[in-house]
Amino acid sequence: MIRDITIGQYYASDSVIHKLDPRVKVVCTFAYIISLFCFKQLSGYIIAALFFWCIIKLSKVPLGFVVRGIKPVLFMLVFTAMLNLFWTSGGNVLVKFGIITITEEGIERTVFMALRLVFLIIGSSIMTLATTPNQLTDAIEKLLRPLNRIKVPVHEVAMMMSIALRFIPILVEETDKIMKAQLARGADFESGNIFSRIKNMTPIIIPLFVSAARRASGLALAMDARCYNGGSGRTKMKPLEYKGRDIAAYLVMAVYIAVIIIAGKYLPF
Amino acid sequence: MSIKLQNVNFIYGAGTGKEKHALKNINIEIKDGEFTGIAGHTGSGKSTLVQLLNGLERATSGEIFYNGQNIYDKSYNMRKLRSKTGLVFQYPEHQLFETTVINDVQFGPKNLGLSQLEAELRSFNALKMAGIDDSLLDVSPFALSGGQKRRVAIAGVLAMQPEVLVLDEPAAGLDPAGRDEILGLLEKLHKENNTTIILVSHSMEDLAGYVDRMIVMNKGEIVLDGKPGQVFQFEKELENIGLGVPQPAKVIHQLKEAGADIKGEPVTAGESIDAIYNWLKGA
Repeated sequence: MIRDITIGQYYASDSVIHKLDPRVKVVCTFAYIISLFCFKQLSGYIIAALFFWCIIKLSKVPLGFVVRGIKPVLFMLVFTAMLNLFWTSGGNVLVKFGIITITEEGIERTVFMALRLVFLIIGSSIMTLATTPNQLTDAIEKLLRPLNRIKVPVHEVAMMMSIALRFIPILVEETDKIMKAQLARGADFESGNIFSRIKNMTPIIIPLFVSAARRASGLALAMDARCYNGGSGRTKMKPLEYKGRDIAAYLVMAVYIAVIIIAGKYLPF
Repeated sequence: MSIKLQNVNFIYGAGTGKEKHALKNINIEIKDGEFTGIAGHTGSGKSTLVQLLNGLERATSGEIFYNGQNIYDKSYNMRKLRSKTGLVFQYPEHQLFETTVINDVQFGPKNLGLSQLEAELRSFNALKMAGIDDSLLDVSPFALSGGQKRRVAIAGVLAMQPEVLVLDEPAAGLDPAGRDEILGLLEKLHKENNTTIILVSHSMEDLAGYVDRMIVMNKGEIVLDGKPGQVFQFEKELENIGLGVPQPAKVIHQLKEAGADIKGEPVTAGESIDAIYNWLKGA
């Protein structure tokens, strides 16, 4: 059950999208997310959908995989949709039932808002599916490097991020194992009220903390043994360098943004 | 009384496109009081198999019978099954959590609904059996040495007094003395309490001297099943799946191949020495 968590899951493939410089992917994803809030009419949604449809096809990630990214936020999605549906005023009233009023504009807004959120989630999940966590932190480190001037420890922050990401699957697996071990000793995690349930989690939480501390100290020792001493003077085995395809990707992104803006201005719908 | 697996299949990640067929059509019966060894290379499905035995994982298809009752029947009490089949995981010391050794061992018995007194009594006995000194009862389990931690954790399962004891690599990462202590403890349990023991290991040496029956797994299938002496006859096959046979059995094999007329199928070093001695005396 607990293994179903898919945060930052990576889908291995050799597609063009996978090969892009991770900086391109981070910047373009941001640009894409911002672009989602730059249009109001239907044409914008169609263009945005077409655009990411092409990206998914190019990335060779199965559609089902991408769509699964919506699952964890489904509740939030439904909740915001409900709020929009019931609390938008103005326009033609379609249904009136007690305090609930559904208007034409409400429906329109709900659909568009939900679409926007779905696009946003799918857009960012394509990035994580096509980029390894390590590449991602590399990109963030390099993009944020200018902050070094104002004494922000960019390298250290990036290192902490990549370690944290690296340990998510390990700790998930560990939790699964400890849970099973305690179940085998007759532990009960499913009955009782919320307080007794929280208390019943002690046999999982404590071993998990102990093991996290053990792993952390082992990792620190291993890093020390390899003479790790922070970011200054550190070089990379595979430094990030822009190639032709990365420039092309930026251009494609620029064209997409231009199309979205122009369509918003000149298309009638 | 027995454990019986019928056409059991287990698939990890069924329906996600990343399926892994961990167990393929397993049919075995483990009788009461048997000391069974399950050997197999990493990823052969042995750990998955033992998790099915007490219902922690559910077989994708097939049936499991415990004492003739189907454990997948809706009315079957899974928690009761877990109290009867004690499962000791790999590195069981990682599950310790209480403030003192005795409290940790009591966790299992208390979950069975026993009284404080009964739980304490069982825990004392289990710790004694596991060779933990009385002076350590009120010590934090995290302050113990690795080998002691492991024995406390095993005592935590023993205190539940299971009918069947399943252990997944109980000797992994221990020094030879620690390994002999743990395996000796199992032998004692088997002989004195007639507990059914299922010992999972990738080390043929560990299994050879203790088990009555050896099941060898490879890629989710049972490839060999029999007495250790019989199983070790298949030296080539065992080497092909990355297991090999213990040194003594290897020596006997080579002597036999060279034409020595050695009787029987000796397994341990001691048995092999006797067999060679008898052969030399006879020759």
